[in-house]
Amino acid sequence: MKRDVLERILWSLSVDRFSKEKYREDPQKFLGRFPLDEEGARMILEFDVKAMQEEGVNPMLTLGYWIEMSPDRRVSSYNRKLGSDSAHSASIKG
Amino acid sequence: MAEITGGFLVPHDPVMFVAPDAPEADKAKKVWDAYETCAQRLADSAASSVIIIGNDHYMLFGTTCLPKYCIATGHVEGPLDQLPGLKKEQVSNHEALAQHIAQQGSDSGFDWAVARSFTTDHAFSIPYKLIVRRAEEISGRSITAIPVYLASAVDPFITKARARQLGEQIRAAVESFDSDEQLFVIGSGGISHWVGVKETGKVNEAFDHQVIDLCCNADIDGLAAYTDEQVLENGGNGAMEIRNFICAMAAANASRGELIEYQPVPEWVTGLGFIELKKG
Repeated sequence: MKRDVLERILWSLSVDRFSKEKYREDPQKFLGRFPLDEEGARMILEFDVKAMQEEGVNPMLTLGYWIEMSPDRRVSSYNRKLGSDSAHSASIKG
Repeated sequence: MAEITGGFLVPHDPVMFVAPDAPEADKAKKVWDAYETCAQRLADSAASSVIIIGNDHYMLFGTTCLPKYCIATGHVEGPLDQLPGLKKEQVSNHEALAQHIAQQGSDSGFDWAVARSFTTDHAFSIPYKLIVRRAEEISGRSITAIPVYLASAVDPFITKARARQLGEQIRAAVESFDSDEQLFVIGSGGISHWVGVKETGKVNEAFDHQVIDLCCNADIDGLAAYTDEQVLENGGNGAMEIRNFICAMAAANASRGELIEYQPVPEWVTGLGFIELKKG
């Protein structure tokens, strides 16, 4: 179930402008709308894309979420968060 | 009867548009030229419509509904994910044929998800722009395009066996369409690429050549024999798109494929293969 809820939230934050606005206004309040446990909320708030992928979340969503919402939207930082030193990016946002 | 007379298997790599200068110039040129070759061959054909088989990248379909296979039967525009040099445009769909494929499918055990109004992503729009629209420019004739989307990047995935059956159903539907039109089919995807995971940037040339050989030998059985685990390990999560190849090959019923170009391009995070599907 955690994976399903995480994917629902990440998809919303990747493609839905209203959800992005609400999250930026008050992340805790936004996440409170979903049946998410403490660890799931931590993963999202801390952009722990590695933990989310280990939970089974589709990497296209973790990448999209990072690019749309993280303070540091660079894919090099995303790669490091995954434990990779890859200089390459599959990002469609450059 | 209408007929699928040819087709292509080509990549849909958005990084080409975002970072066109990342690879060596000669390597990049070979890739862009391969699209141009496809466009020229489509222009030289008598095809008046193209079916493009691609896949969503978890942006068109959300967690509330994930179709195994979907066809756009009405208004089409795209892409949603606009890129430098790839802006949203209206797509001239062949609505009558798309509706016929969906209906013939319904009558024969294929319950298509139908998009009466559809926005594409880059899986459709890259080959549409670089091959179909370009072929229109070269030939001066109009070419319509039907989007077909398979669950090849977001699970639950369509099985490879079902992708093949679906291609066969598309072919049967085309051949039962009351028209003398000729069509091409394009399988859009792959080959090896790792998207959003720590292996991003890896390209497995050995796997790519295996896939290319199977496609050129029209060996759908061989492609379908890969387990998902084998594909994920050797080709990455992006290579699950070989389902699009399988569907297109089954639709084209080609006897062989001709390799137009292959370039492994880590800078564009993909092994990029271009194959023309040949009949006879």
